[in-house]
Amino acid sequence: MRKLSVLAASALLLASSSFAKEINVGVVMSMSGPLAAYGQTCNEGIEFAHSLQPKLKNGDTVKLVLIDTKGDKVESANATTRLISSDKVVGIIGELTSTNTAQVIAIADKKEIPVIAPVATNDKLTEGKKFANRVCFTDSFQGAVVANYAAKDLKLKTAVVVVDQAQVYSLGLAKAFKDAFSAAGGKIVKEIKVSSGDKDFKAVVSQIKAANPDFMFLPMYHPEVSMIARQAKQIGLNKPMFSGDGVANQTFIDLGGDAVEGYMFTDFFDYGAPPTERSKEFIKAYAAKTGKQEVNSFVALGADAYNLMVDAMNRCANPEDNICVNNEIKKTKGFEGVSGVISMDELGNSTRSAVIKVVQNAKAVYKATVNP
Amino acid sequence: MFMQQMINGFSLGSMYALIAIGYTMVYGVLRLINFAHGDIMMVGGFLGFFGVAVLELPFLAAVLLAIVGSALLGMASDRIAYRPLRSAPKISLLITAIGVSFFLENAFNVFFGGVPRAFPVPSVLEDILEFGGLTIPVSALIVPILTAMLLAIILWVLFKTKYGMAIRALAFDVDTVNLMGIDANRIITIVFGMGSALAAVGGIFWVVNYPSVDPMMGVLVGLKAFAAAVVGGIGSVGGAVLGGLIIGFTEVVVIAFFPELGGYKDAFAFIFLILILLFKPTGILGIDFEKSRF
Repeated sequence: MRKLSVLAASALLLASSSFAKEINVGVVMSMSGPLAAYGQTCNEGIEFAHSLQPKLKNGDTVKLVLIDTKGDKVESANATTRLISSDKVVGIIGELTSTNTAQVIAIADKKEIPVIAPVATNDKLTEGKKFANRVCFTDSFQGAVVANYAAKDLKLKTAVVVVDQAQVYSLGLAKAFKDAFSAAGGKIVKEIKVSSGDKDFKAVVSQIKAANPDFMFLPMYHPEVSMIARQAKQIGLNKPMFSGDGVANQTFIDLGGDAVEGYMFTDFFDYGAPPTERSKEFIKAYAAKTGKQEVNSFVALGADAYNLMVDAMNRCANPEDNICVNNEIKKTKGFEGVSGVISMDELGNSTRSAVIKVVQNAKAVYKATVNP
Repeated sequence: MFMQQMINGFSLGSMYALIAIGYTMVYGVLRLINFAHGDIMMVGGFLGFFGVAVLELPFLAAVLLAIVGSALLGMASDRIAYRPLRSAPKISLLITAIGVSFFLENAFNVFFGGVPRAFPVPSVLEDILEFGGLTIPVSALIVPILTAMLLAIILWVLFKTKYGMAIRALAFDVDTVNLMGIDANRIITIVFGMGSALAAVGGIFWVVNYPSVDPMMGVLVGLKAFAAAVVGGIGSVGGAVLGGLIIGFTEVVVIAFFPELGGYKDAFAFIFLILILLFKPTGILGIDFEKSRF
């Protein structure tokens, strides 16, 4: 009898310990290297969302396993393999850029591990993949937003596009913009190709000045765009400039200084106009912890990538069932995220709103919301 | 338009030239391609940033701080990493140089983070001069002048001073120089100091022209300056300046005339490099190393 009760007690103990499991979720992110500014911001959002909601409905704890990719393709692929084979993750959040995320997806898709990309906007990313998802919008949507806003609201007719041909993000966004701008009756007078890592764009801005367009579209990341803006100002090229979400970062404004005053770009979210109840709560909690109200859109999207993952895991009987988690992610409709209301489709793309911001007095200021 | 592009090419080219001189100095003496040169330039940029933004020194004092700091770092790298390998095969020295380069990049990454910082450019250098439709920023104008001045100073040191004579002798034969009562190690230290000081000047004026400081900024510039040194004839100071100008002009010309191919401008610059080496393996002003140097 005594033996039996001991057995029962130990069985109970076993049961309770196996009840509150720890489930690994992988994070693959550029924490160092040229895009560290974005990667660190995005990861801040993932970790903050995790600190707000560290447990699943059934009591299991989610553990984040972060691997730094240094912004590199090969490192991204290696990190993914390591997370799946040795950390046994249920899902992966990341990477930052479309180029690197494509590497993550290629591997995770074969191993049937769901990926949620927080900010990778390239259209082709989810094509033909079953386990690829994202909480951000796509380049074709973003390109169309800029093209229509410039053509219809600002009545601008001619554009020069500068493309970073080393970035999949840049090529995709440029194409989407060109198609939409031509469709809206605009004309692309010149397209100039550059490659990331360059600092000297004097020849490029001289070319643009000679072409004399109504505005410029620079679908690139902040290190190059800030230098182009500075050098454009130096030669007296004072035309409106637009970018996508690749410059949605305070570092861009710091690097650009006076030269980026009036610069316009698309973004996912503005903390000054919180789209949902959840955003309001998130901003409040974020302010309480960090002492600042400014929730960067990459923080919000990082948080939503995590929230969506947890939401899908909660809807599965067994949150460690990667197939079920992936199906539930794709079934998500009207999800109240931090960055806005997100609905997922079969392809793993999200339908959501975009905002346009403008740089004023060294701050990014909300200008307009564009719905899909 | 054409003139404007020529000015752009000239300012970019002299920037490369400034950095290439340091490469060529060290190579001439040790026949070591100092791959850490670009990273010493980065350290120079960081020290300048530190001087202006953190210590709030006047710009010239910050330049001095960067030059002295980088020169000391260059000498230390020689003392710690290269001197123990003086009699080792050249390839070991080359690998060590790559190691020093990685060490500097990663050390700065760890201590200062990978996020680029804005360099506060002094307002005098931000002024813009205009001559009949041409616009020239003061910061871009000052680089060619500085390059010419430094070139003159280095040529003077090399050909008119006793130290210069020792450096030139060292380039011929280290062992014989030692027999003549010259402390070869001391001369090599001086060369590293000079080369690194040049890198620091290059670094400071690089961040004045392109005001963003990050630990990886030296990699691509270093590579191009190296290519410039090779085109001009590595080991020749004048050749380094010529090579820098050629690479700078090639890049600008590609963007000016073939904007669609602008992303491949580096490829054009390097194709040019290969062509020159095919017809003149020692570079344009390069001399056969067994005969003479500088």
